[in-house]
Amino acid sequence: MGIVVKVLRAIFLVLLGLFFFVPLLAMARFAFQSVPVVLLTPEKLLEGWSISGLIEVFGNPEFQRAALISLQLMVLSILITLVLLLPVAALVEIRAPQFRTAMAAITLLPWVVPPIALVVGVAATFRNTVPWFLASPYSLVPFYVLWALPFSYRALDAGLRSIGARTLYEAARVMGASTFTIIVRVIVPNMVGAIIAASVLTAALVLGEFAFAALLLKETLPTFMAEFQRSEPRAGMALALAVMLLTALIIWIGVRALRKRGMDLQAAGV
Amino acid sequence: MATVLMSGIRKEFGSTVALSDFTLEIESGELICLLGPSGCGKTTALRVLAGFEKPDAGTVIVGGEDITSLPTAKRNFGMVFQEYSLFPNMTGRANVEFALKLRKAGSAERKETVDRLLTITGLTEHADKFPHQMSGGQRQRVALARALASQPRVLLLDEPLSALDAKVRDSLREEIRRVQREVGVTTLFVTHDQHEALAIADRVGVMSNGRLEQLDPPRALYERPASAFVAGFVGTVNRLPAEPEGDRWRVLNRSVSAQATMQGAHLAVIRPEQLMIDPDASGDATVTEVTFLGPLTRVVVKSSGQSLIADLLTSEFGGVNVGDQVRVRLRDDVTDVVLIEA
Repeated sequence: MGIVVKVLRAIFLVLLGLFFFVPLLAMARFAFQSVPVVLLTPEKLLEGWSISGLIEVFGNPEFQRAALISLQLMVLSILITLVLLLPVAALVEIRAPQFRTAMAAITLLPWVVPPIALVVGVAATFRNTVPWFLASPYSLVPFYVLWALPFSYRALDAGLRSIGARTLYEAARVMGASTFTIIVRVIVPNMVGAIIAASVLTAALVLGEFAFAALLLKETLPTFMAEFQRSEPRAGMALALAVMLLTALIIWIGVRALRKRGMDLQAAGV
Repeated sequence: MATVLMSGIRKEFGSTVALSDFTLEIESGELICLLGPSGCGKTTALRVLAGFEKPDAGTVIVGGEDITSLPTAKRNFGMVFQEYSLFPNMTGRANVEFALKLRKAGSAERKETVDRLLTITGLTEHADKFPHQMSGGQRQRVALARALASQPRVLLLDEPLSALDAKVRDSLREEIRRVQREVGVTTLFVTHDQHEALAIADRVGVMSNGRLEQLDPPRALYERPASAFVAGFVGTVNRLPAEPEGDRWRVLNRSVSAQATMQGAHLAVIRPEQLMIDPDASGDATVTEVTFLGPLTRVVVKSSGQSLIADLLTSEFGGVNVGDQVRVRLRDDVTDVVLIEA
């Protein structure tokens, strides 16, 4: 590689780094430096850092409730995604490949319909039929499962294709295995990578989702943060950074798990 | 071990007819190759026998039992696929054992069967590897052992060698033949490779357009092709005009005997090794190509607008060059020929 290319690449990487890092640094200073905003000058970069604001938020019972709800929503959304979607994706791949194109289109639909339309439509329907459903915070789970579909379905579908699920199915079928046995003992154990990818994507979406929760008046981590930010801008910013780090951590753990299994994100369809 | 009788099978996919009035009988313990160009219906025939496709008409009978609508899982067949189909999460041994576990075999019986099959297929030292640690040839051997584990009534091989490189392909082909004889299982082998089919099969069925054109032992297929299609598909042929001459026929100025069953004009099917090339300045053919193939030398000549291919023993090759005038004749030992409709 020529020296010019190397220099250009270095410049580009530095600019890109600054582009991402400077706002983060500004956020961190605003959140964690107990210095009045007008005095946050470069000379005072190392002065008065403290995470007491953040610790205070963690002790806030409202925050704890919201965080717990969000974690529960995350786990439930992942479980329901896997329990419902994995068999459907597997069956489409091995028994009805002619529906694959249709499935690809259908699973994109949630993103074509804006959340407000989805919520208004669903809310109107449920209010008249099963009003108790929308009262519970868990009523967000179906929305989140749908909202994550474009990613989670693609991750699972790519996984099925990369293991040659159809041939594995036929091979096991000749041996006398039932479809259930094949999915449980042959397909799923070979799809751990895709399952991790689908779960990580669903988790990241659920932890950051604001529109559905706000429209349905539920207190989740993002809606709590939006509210909290208004009364406590500095602690709110600190919390936002902490949540961002947590989401990054989840993705990083997922990617590492994939690497360990000799896969990259592309192979998992991400 | 069982005999297989597929009769009057018809299968359509949309507007494409994959099989039409397909009939095939496989004797117990026999190895039959279905050979044909892609799209001829050979894979569909195998998949109908496996139960993956339900025929639109016709019956499949195995060992006297009509299994036309029996689900694949209940047929007790073994199958090896073109794509690698081992379960990636299981070792070679576990793959072979899986079929036995499904049939609820006891652990002593499982171990005995698995060990025997791994020995037959020469896999003992690779048995505990996972598929991704094995070569393509080893994977297909495990697939073969796995297909045989449940003592299947019929073994189905769907182009099992196509994904392998040439050298492995040849040795594994012999291996499959040996194991198949040893186990004595009735086998249907689908391939598009004529060398593979001729080398391995008891009988070869040549297919075109969803029909079986001819089903014969390899040698008969090569020497007595029943149709122009078979003649052209199996080996290389020259088609030469044949003139009736009493109850004999005249081909390249030689009187030969032949059985003509059809009316109208005929062509004689002449294999390249049945032609002889003599250097002759007044000959009516011109040499256009000379290729040295080791024991044989292939000479292509142009004679009255038609290209003819002759394979001469290199030891007999007179040393003609491109552009030379030559005379083409039948070798002296060619006394009867096969005729096809013109």
